[in-house]
Formats: sequence, structure tokens, C-alpha cells
Amino acid sequence: MPPPADHHVKGETVAYNKPIPEPDPLGKPFWDGAKAGKLMLPRCVDCSRVHWYPRHICPSCHSDNIEWVEGSGEGYIHTFAVQHRAMGGWAEEAPFVTAYIDLVEGDRMFTVLRGVDPKNPESIKIGAKVRVEFEAATDDVSIAFWRVAE
Amino acid sequence: MPGELSRAAAIVGAAEANEIGYPKTPKTALQLHMEAIKNVSNQTGIPISRINGVFGAGWSSQIAEHLGLHPDYIDTTAVGGCSFEMHVHHALAAIHAGIIDVALVTHGENGYSQRATGGRGTGRARGGDPWDPGSLYSNPYGVTGAPSNYSHALTRHMHRYGTTPEDFAEIAVVTRQWATLNPRAVMHSKETHPEGGPITVETVQKSRIISWPLTLLHVCLVTDYGGAILITSPEIAKSLPTKPVWIAGAGENMSHSNMLEMGDFTATSAAASAATAYRMAGMGPEDMEMAMIYDSFTVTAGITAEMLGLAPKGEGFTLWKSGKAAPGGSFPINTNGGGLSFNHSGMYGMQLLVEAYRQLSGTAEDGVNGIAGKQTKARSCVVNGTGGSLSTTGTLVLVAD
Ligand SMILES: [Zn+2]
Repeated sequence: MPPPADHHVKGETVAYNKPIPEPDPLGKPFWDGAKAGKLMLPRCVDCSRVHWYPRHICPSCHSDNIEWVEGSGEGYIHTFAVQHRAMGGWAEEAPFVTAYIDLVEGDRMFTVLRGVDPKNPESIKIGAKVRVEFEAATDDVSIAFWRVAE
Repeated sequence: MPGELSRAAAIVGAAEANEIGYPKTPKTALQLHMEAIKNVSNQTGIPISRINGVFGAGWSSQIAEHLGLHPDYIDTTAVGGCSFEMHVHHALAAIHAGIIDVALVTHGENGYSQRATGGRGTGRARGGDPWDPGSLYSNPYGVTGAPSNYSHALTRHMHRYGTTPEDFAEIAVVTRQWATLNPRAVMHSKETHPEGGPITVETVQKSRIISWPLTLLHVCLVTDYGGAILITSPEIAKSLPTKPVWIAGAGENMSHSNMLEMGDFTATSAAASAATAYRMAGMGPEDMEMAMIYDSFTVTAGITAEMLGLAPKGEGFTLWKSGKAAPGGSFPINTNGGGLSFNHSGMYGMQLLVEAYRQLSGTAEDGVNGIAGKQTKARSCVVNGTGGSLSTTGTLVLVAD
């Protein structure tokens, strides 16, 4: 039986089989940055606050003067959960840990956390330092993941 | 002193669809709506043709058209399970303003039957938007539906207050006790469900892990439900055979839409919506004699009890653990058996309203929807709906006539 279309084998590597976002115009600098291995974040020129997710106007001061800056790629675990039930490609990885990450620059991202033991949630520490990394899902789309820093 | 809108309208009847829970033959959402509407019309004696405001969380013009109505007020506020509490708020304002005098708030949802009917007959738009922030920045990470999101709140609550999953399991245990007094509850007994009847903290903690720290019995049911209430002006309310339940206070608020924007994972906007409702009522949490609190998950109910001022922060679960919230207790909560053990169709706000009406009109123990021990003596009830991912809230202060 041939493997499903979204799970085809290229040489030794298995193609990315999880949900792949369809980048939007508003977040283009983020998606371009991800492809280049950089964490690009929207920042308000007027109040200097970084916000996540990307906005047409700043959610803090409502300025429409938004710039994109490269983030440090560092953050801290705000909270997490261990997913034992999932759909599609993620089902094969369950259990896995999802987490909200407080960015050093401010505001928060959601992710699948790497470098943790899902079978031992008590060992995962809220407040632990994490670092971003990117995985190429396709030639055009890379996805941000966060890993607990050693 | 109560606000201008306080008691400007009353809930005069509340009814459900003929068959709820896990129907043997699949129901459509529209059918569940219509059965409940017909039943509440019969109960109150208000002809359907007399309704001049239609409030629903699907597509209210479709409901009104099915009824052959041309209402003066049409409201499709749909922000999750608290929408129905918001509808009551909006109906109160519309009646006070003199725009309408008979409001229908209706809900039909086939959470169970849609496994057979698919997306057909649901009466609301479906389908995700790939450029929605959730599609772009949450869904790629394997979260599937509410349980996988709400678990993050419980982890944070445990971290901040030193609470445990066992503390929150007490909520499931007590709520199940109420379900044993409601023959229409899915988990009423072994006759209604193989896993029905009383449970213990150990049963809850040993049930299948869904999204740590939440196990299956921390999570609400997925069922069919139809429910409808009628709200009228005081003049009409006083002329009916049914007892009015007065809307003393109402408020709504929101923290966020996507959980990415949830600032404090141990708090919800119920603190704000309840403040508005209490202020309008001229009452406070100390004046409440029971509560109907949306329990999509044990953690939802526990945190909300704190937000409503019923318990100090970090201690909401103690209302259940101490037995105060249980049958015979000093502060009954979720007397229908809750979303955890009675019925949860996807949006549960209507179930809260129907039970609050029954309790405050003295009809909670009618043999069909309740047996001996379910009717409380409460004369006031705080009702709180929560929608989305702990996102939106609607709070009502209801009082008996
Ligand atoms: Zn700004």
C-alpha cells in the first residue's frame, strides 16, 4: 500500500506530516524570518512594545506604526500541558508537551516544547528557560519550536 | 441600590427538547431548538406568534424564519457557551428600552448526533479560516479542542496556588452526586450510562488521561441538547400561570478570544462580568444562595467560583470539597449535574439558565428533571457562563418572585 500523499519519503527523511500553516500577508516577516532561522517579532514604534500574534494596529496603544525586529529567541515556560490525544501527524507523537512561552521581549507564544519528558510532567518546571528553533515543514514554511535550555 | 435595569424583565418559563443526551435516533440542531420552543410556549401559554425578539447563538434569522416570525429584535451573539447569558443581558436591555416585550432565547445543538448527521442541519456556519490567529499560531502545535487548551490553566493554577488535580476532582465527584438526582442526566445511574452513578476522587484520577493534568472525568460530556427560555416585561410576567424569576443583575465581559491572549491563566473575565451584575442587582456574592457555574471542566468551575467572589483566590474547589456545594449542602452548585455529568452539547449556557429557572421557580423536583433532594431552598442564584478558551463570560443574578 502506498503511503499517504502527505507522508511521502524523500530519500531517508520523512516529510513533515503535521498541520502546516498557510502564511498570511500580515505575518509575512515572521514566516520569512522563520525560513531563515530568525525569530522576527512585531514591535510598536510608538510605545516600543512587542506583541504576539501580529496585528494591524498595536494592541497596547493602537498606533498603526509597527516594525519588525529580530528577537533574542529566548523565553520562559509560562504554563504547559501534556497532550495524550491528538489528530493527524501529532497522534503518532502523543504524549507530547504543549506550552505557552513568555518571550524575553514581552508577550507570549504557543508551542510544542522539546527537550522535556512528557511521561514525567512533574519534572517540567514553569519558569524554565527555553530557546527557539525552527523546523522546515516545506520549502516555504518553517515552524517555530521551543526547547528547554541546558 | 439596584441599577435601572434590575428586574426590568423576568424569565417566565424554561423548557427542553423532548429527548436530550444520547438520543437513539440522530437529531438535528434545528429539531432540538423547535421542540424546546414548542415546550416553553406550552408551559407559559405564550403563543409562539407573540414572540417579538429572537436570541440564539447559531443564526437567529434561520430560527425566526422556521417559526414564521418577523421579530423586532434579532440577536446572534455567538461567543461560545456564555452566549445565552449574554442574550439574557441583551433581552433585558431591549425590554427595558421598550423595543420588545417577549424575548425567546433558544439553543439547539447535537453534539452527540452530529457523529451521524455530520455538518448537516446544525443551523450555523462552519469551517476554519486559515488566516485566523489560532490556525496560524496554535493549531500547528497539535491542540485539538477545548480539553487540550484548558489543561494549561490548571497547570498554572497548581503552580500558583499549590492546588492539585485531586482538589479539582472533588468538583466532579460532587457534581455527579447532583446527577444522581436528575433522571435526565446522562450519568444519572448505571441505567442511563454504564459508567453512571456515584464516583470518587480515585475514579476521577484513574480515568483515562486526556490532557495532563486533566483526566476524562475532569472533562464535560458531549451530548445533544435543546433548551429555550422566554423573557418578558414585568406586566406580562405577572399575568402568566408560571412563576417569574427576576433578572436582578446582568453583566458580560471578555478576557480574550484566542488563548494566546489570556493574560492570567488563573483568572477569567467573570470577575468583571460579575461585578457588573452584582452592581446592577444591588447585591453581592454574600447575598447568593446557590450558583450555576459553567463546568466545561472541573478547572473552569473552580476558577469561576473564585472570580464570582464565592471563595478566595486559589480556594474555589473548597466549596465542593467541604460538601457545601453538594446535595443538602449550605451552598448548592450545579444542581442539574452540570456539564460534567448531566449534559453538555458544546455550548452549555442554556442548560445553566433552565436549571436556575427551575430552582428559583420551585420546579426542580418534578419527577422528570429531578427527584427528591434536588429542589433547594435558594431564593437567589448567580449564573455564570464561560465561552471559548476561558475567553468570554456572562453573569446573571437571578432571584425568586
Ligand atoms: Zn503601541
